[in-house]
Amino acid sequence: MVWLVLLCVPWLTSNEYWLDTGIAIATFAVLSTGLNLIYGYGGLLSFAQVAFFGLGGYGAALLVTRLGCSFWLALPAAAVIATLAGLLIGYSSLRLSRHAFAIVSLSFALLCGIVARDWVSLTRGSMGIPGLSLPGFDAPAQMYRLTVTAALILLAGFHVLLSSRLGRALQAIKLNEPLAQSQGIDPLRYKLLAIGASAAASGVMGALFVFHLSIVDPSVFDFYYTETMLIMVILGGAGSFWGVIGASVVFSIVPDLLRFSPDLRLMLYGLVLVAAMMLFPGGFAGLLRQRSLVRWRTRR
Amino acid sequence: MDAIYLLQLLLNGLVIGVIYALIAMGLSLIFGLLGIVNFAHGEFYMLGAMLSFFAVTDLHFGYWTTILAVTLVACAVGLLFYHLFLASLRPADFERSILLTLGISMVLQNGGIFLWTVTPRMVPTPWSYTAVTLGDLQLPLLRLFTLGIATAAFLALYVLLSHTLVGKAMRGLSQSRDAAAMVGIDHRRVARLAVIIGIGLSGLAGATLAPVYSVQPTMGAAFVFKAFAIVIIGGLGNIMGAAIAAVMLGVLESLIGGFFPLTLADSAGFIAMILVLLFKPEGLFGRGVRV
Repeated sequence: MVWLVLLCVPWLTSNEYWLDTGIAIATFAVLSTGLNLIYGYGGLLSFAQVAFFGLGGYGAALLVTRLGCSFWLALPAAAVIATLAGLLIGYSSLRLSRHAFAIVSLSFALLCGIVARDWVSLTRGSMGIPGLSLPGFDAPAQMYRLTVTAALILLAGFHVLLSSRLGRALQAIKLNEPLAQSQGIDPLRYKLLAIGASAAASGVMGALFVFHLSIVDPSVFDFYYTETMLIMVILGGAGSFWGVIGASVVFSIVPDLLRFSPDLRLMLYGLVLVAAMMLFPGGFAGLLRQRSLVRWRTRR
Repeated sequence: MDAIYLLQLLLNGLVIGVIYALIAMGLSLIFGLLGIVNFAHGEFYMLGAMLSFFAVTDLHFGYWTTILAVTLVACAVGLLFYHLFLASLRPADFERSILLTLGISMVLQNGGIFLWTVTPRMVPTPWSYTAVTLGDLQLPLLRLFTLGIATAAFLALYVLLSHTLVGKAMRGLSQSRDAAAMVGIDHRRVARLAVIIGIGLSGLAGATLAPVYSVQPTMGAAFVFKAFAIVIIGGLGNIMGAAIAAVMLGVLESLIGGFFPLTLADSAGFIAMILVLLFKPEGLFGRGVRV
């Protein structure tokens, strides 16, 4: 239903600005839901989502331009590359602690940006790889339909995953890891599953996004994406599926309308993050949960 | 390849290594005592460097006065940082502490870019181009000063941790919070001191390195990412481990950078961190505040 409605949008407006915004919403909805899966449900702070996104973008771009792969082969390959990266940082750091995971994921994201910039012979450095095009999807409306379709499939996949055993196991691990372990849940396995799924989806969106822009450069690893995803997940309510999607829609549109300078916007996001952490110790999701608990108590 | 080139690389590696050590030791100290990974740590290094730029160019402070003044200001900032943000955090507030310090880092870094732009600035000193000649070897004076200052700071921290009562309290607190409370250690005061020292060291590192390299608002982010790797390689919370790992990484990076592409030198810390995590997750030297 939603899919059909969204696919009709290009007939209503041929305005490229709105189609671009639509693509941004679709991309951020998948990215922030991926972060929500790891952080909101799994309790792990991952700063590597932008790395999965960028690796997917660079992976697909390099496969298509250097090896002459077809895009439809490069798309799943992008997912595989991102997943492998996710499993590498997850497996190595999670055996130590959650702190180590946060540190390693942030380092990985920064490293990806540096390598993309400095490994000029492969990535052409900050000049990027231009001229990415997808035959048959050259018009903005077609790219919009493709991205929205992919995003909806991935979001549906996330929803199925979260309402399945994986979602419940993740929440159990987040609430009480030793207890979950005593019930036969292997925390590391489920955490890695969540990271893998989230990385794969981010990689796919990365591949689609760079082909939409028709160029990939080191800015796909920009901290801006990480920060935006964090704001979406935290203000939307970590662990709330629809809350985060709602926040993705809002925060893809509003900052663009306000037209802040990028530095100022990032600074403002930082302030929001600090304020949120100072005022609501449990995050917004905790606040909502607390309020619903209070409501539930008073109703009885 | 000749021996002089190798020695030069070694010296450069040592200088950058001891600066890594100043930053990583503070990061490790704060983690060991508060259970907080300070994601804003690199920004205090950046602020220290920026402040020393303005102290030298606007206030016409001398080299040593600048370093002393910036370090004192950094200690004061550490005190403020502790009371405003860190004091209310508990070790169990895992996500809160990370997101809070990350938010502060974003505000400081992007505020810095907004105010000062990303144009690199040079901090002038009387000895910017002075070098001590030792045979065929050129030893830039500022790098030697850096080496000396960092070694002195390292020794001071070592003496503090191993030979004073408050150092003993720090080591005790990092081993067991409850046991430390039982013998009458006020964990707040010790934690506050740790943050003051940690941020102070970061400011010192910034002020010391500012005349050697250029100064700009994004320098902290690039540096702290090395410091993270160092802290994990040395063992989370292990201060001396961090110092040793820092010098090792500095030298390693410099040697790799001398013979191989830049990308490999940048990745060295990360690769070493992943290898340590895979084969010795406790870090090379084990966890806990140790000396």
